[in-house]
Amino acid sequence: MKLDTSGLESAEPVWATFNELADGFSAAPSFELPNTTDFDGFQKEAIQMVKPAKGTTTLAFIFKEGVMVAADSRASMGGYISSQSVKKIIEINPYMLGTMAGGAADCQFWHRNLGIKCRLHELANKRRISVTGASKLLANILYSYRGMGLSVGTMIAGWDETGPGLYYVDSEGGRLKGMRFSVGSGSPYAYGVLDSGYRYDMSVEEAAELARRAIYHATFRDGASGGVASVYHVGPNGWKKLSGDDVGELHYKYYPVMPSTVEQEMVEVAGA
Amino acid sequence: MNFMDSKQPESGLLGPESDSQRTLYPYVTGTSVVALKYKDGILMAADMGGSYGSTLRYKSVERMKPIGKHSLLGASGEISDFQEILRFLDELILYDNMWDDGNSLGPKEVHNYLTRVMYNRRNKFNPLWNSLVLGGVKNGQKYLGTVSMIGVNFEDNHVATGFGNHLARPILRQEWHENLSFEDGVKLLEKCMRVLLYRDRSAVNKLQIAKITEEGMTISQPYSLKTHWELSAFQNPTQGAVGSW
Amino acid sequence: MTKQQANWSPYDNNGGSCVAIAGADYCVVAADTRMSTGYNILTRDYSKLCKLADKCVMASSGFQADVKALQKHLAARHLIYQHQHNKQMSCPAMAQLLSNTLYYKRFFPYYSFNVLGGLDNEGKGCVFTYDAVGSYEKVGYSSLGSGSTLIMPFLDNQLKSPSPLLLPAQDAVTPLVEAEAVDLVKTVFASASERDIYTGDKLEIVVINADGIHREYMDLRKD
Repeated sequence: MKLDTSGLESAEPVWATFNELADGFSAAPSFELPNTTDFDGFQKEAIQMVKPAKGTTTLAFIFKEGVMVAADSRASMGGYISSQSVKKIIEINPYMLGTMAGGAADCQFWHRNLGIKCRLHELANKRRISVTGASKLLANILYSYRGMGLSVGTMIAGWDETGPGLYYVDSEGGRLKGMRFSVGSGSPYAYGVLDSGYRYDMSVEEAAELARRAIYHATFRDGASGGVASVYHVGPNGWKKLSGDDVGELHYKYYPVMPSTVEQEMVEVAGA
Repeated sequence: MNFMDSKQPESGLLGPESDSQRTLYPYVTGTSVVALKYKDGILMAADMGGSYGSTLRYKSVERMKPIGKHSLLGASGEISDFQEILRFLDELILYDNMWDDGNSLGPKEVHNYLTRVMYNRRNKFNPLWNSLVLGGVKNGQKYLGTVSMIGVNFEDNHVATGFGNHLARPILRQEWHENLSFEDGVKLLEKCMRVLLYRDRSAVNKLQIAKITEEGMTISQPYSLKTHWELSAFQNPTQGAVGSW
Repeated sequence: MTKQQANWSPYDNNGGSCVAIAGADYCVVAADTRMSTGYNILTRDYSKLCKLADKCVMASSGFQADVKALQKHLAARHLIYQHQHNKQMSCPAMAQLLSNTLYYKRFFPYYSFNVLGGLDNEGKGCVFTYDAVGSYEKVGYSSLGSGSTLIMPFLDNQLKSPSPLLLPAQDAVTPLVEAEAVDLVKTVFASASERDIYTGDKLEIVVINADGIHREYMDLRKD
């Protein structure tokens, strides 16, 4: 039996807006939706206004020693480069990486959300989540928002009890298991290098070089990709960042400047 | 605590348009409001026209009203929405009064309330189709602010809505100063209203000027401005406009 | 009656530029004070800066009503945080909160472009830069808003440090001392107001360092 204290409450009528405000802070956060009949049209316009960062090259592949993951670091809004230092490889936990293509905020938020879910899985089950499981968690979430305008193209790469794992997940609801993926506007260029250079029995060094070269050549041909080529390796002991190179400098590694012979020297004009 | 659970039903995301009543465009509208701070308080001016599209449908619309003891509200835009806002404010002031604690809402509080009302309605995609000007004096503090239909709000020494932003504010920026006397303030407002009358087709030559000071507020009887349509600029308006009639 | 407005929009762009620069032991956050709509200047003295915590200041441009709602929301969240933890929120914590707050409006975004500047737990300057739906990045300096396309290349030219993604990692904090950073901010705004119609009137600069928060103003072009 609880003491009835309702008589102590203020009789002051509280407007609806006040309740909404209080709820907004105490209740779990939720996504506010625009009260419009044309959600798709609004979404299209709104997302145009906030100018999402676009243009990316990311890749990942499984080989003998684990998974290699690489990405560029450019974000552009139309013709303007809004950042040259985006972290497109997201560290979900020490054994799992996610890559970022599409809407930067969508990827960042849902990967962080996935990180929380993976940790919760660990706490509940006393073992790490499989890459299969993690990628499916993400795919299920994204599928539940299908048609609402999320833009995510990601690869979940990691090492679990079954060995290396690699999945491609996107906001259209797709989820594919595979040995080799590349996502983003620069992916055709990256695939070209990757497919021609890939062998399963590469060493870590060879694989890292292949990944780096693929990213570099994508940034060379795709204007929307650029910045720094980051390369990560995931092995049985978790991930490790192997390199981060400015692609402007990588260019001189792949195309060294040849000292050319001087054909003609400039000379003073006589007279004048 | 379930007194006011008569919230309007949260219409579904893609619910039919018919179940929500929205102002998608205005019906009867008022044009500019101009206001400024002067030595002792705030002066505000607005004409009394109520336009129905391009028809001047009403000619005695009061667009400035006292709010509580310290504030004055002027509105342009949809007249019916303005009258609804007045009902909100009446309720606000009444409930504040019922505390009977000797406190009263000042212009700053009322203005803040209005910004939240306007912004919340735009969040519901159901805007109150007005631009509001709120002026007042409390505890020797002069206050003058404005809110738009979608919640944009600010304070300044002089403000104007609608056409006033184009035609009156340049004049105010040039001629306004901190120590305007009442007479000079009225003269300045009349100058602005006259320019608006000349160039704003919705403006009518019947206006009110409201004054609010620490002592209280007065809203003048409607009156007309002297006009000089003989100005050479009005003599032959089509001159130089080749191809017009 | 014919429709007067073809289509009502819940958004407006009120313009303005924001800049933040992080130093070794300070952070400079600045924004102009002009508020516009279309070709109209609504007011010449509207502050775009908002102190969120003792060592955390946010500069925002975009749609003023959304910016105001965001500021009020964060202020309320910070008040709750203080009641629950009896301390001020750190700048990195505020950065994550801002990101989440923006993302929860993913389907009806706050049309606001924010930079967050302050000091981290070690007292080092830090700057976080955002897009309107909450993706964020820790950087050494940043510019957002209507004049950002004019300001950012200039800042890159003067301050660009090795990318934080390079291996081995390098510190992204600018090499300038406080007074130099303040001078640089004044210069970039004077330049931006020459070419951006939405930037001008007055510059508001806030410097956050171990002594606290210091504020100063500089006049800009008013045309």
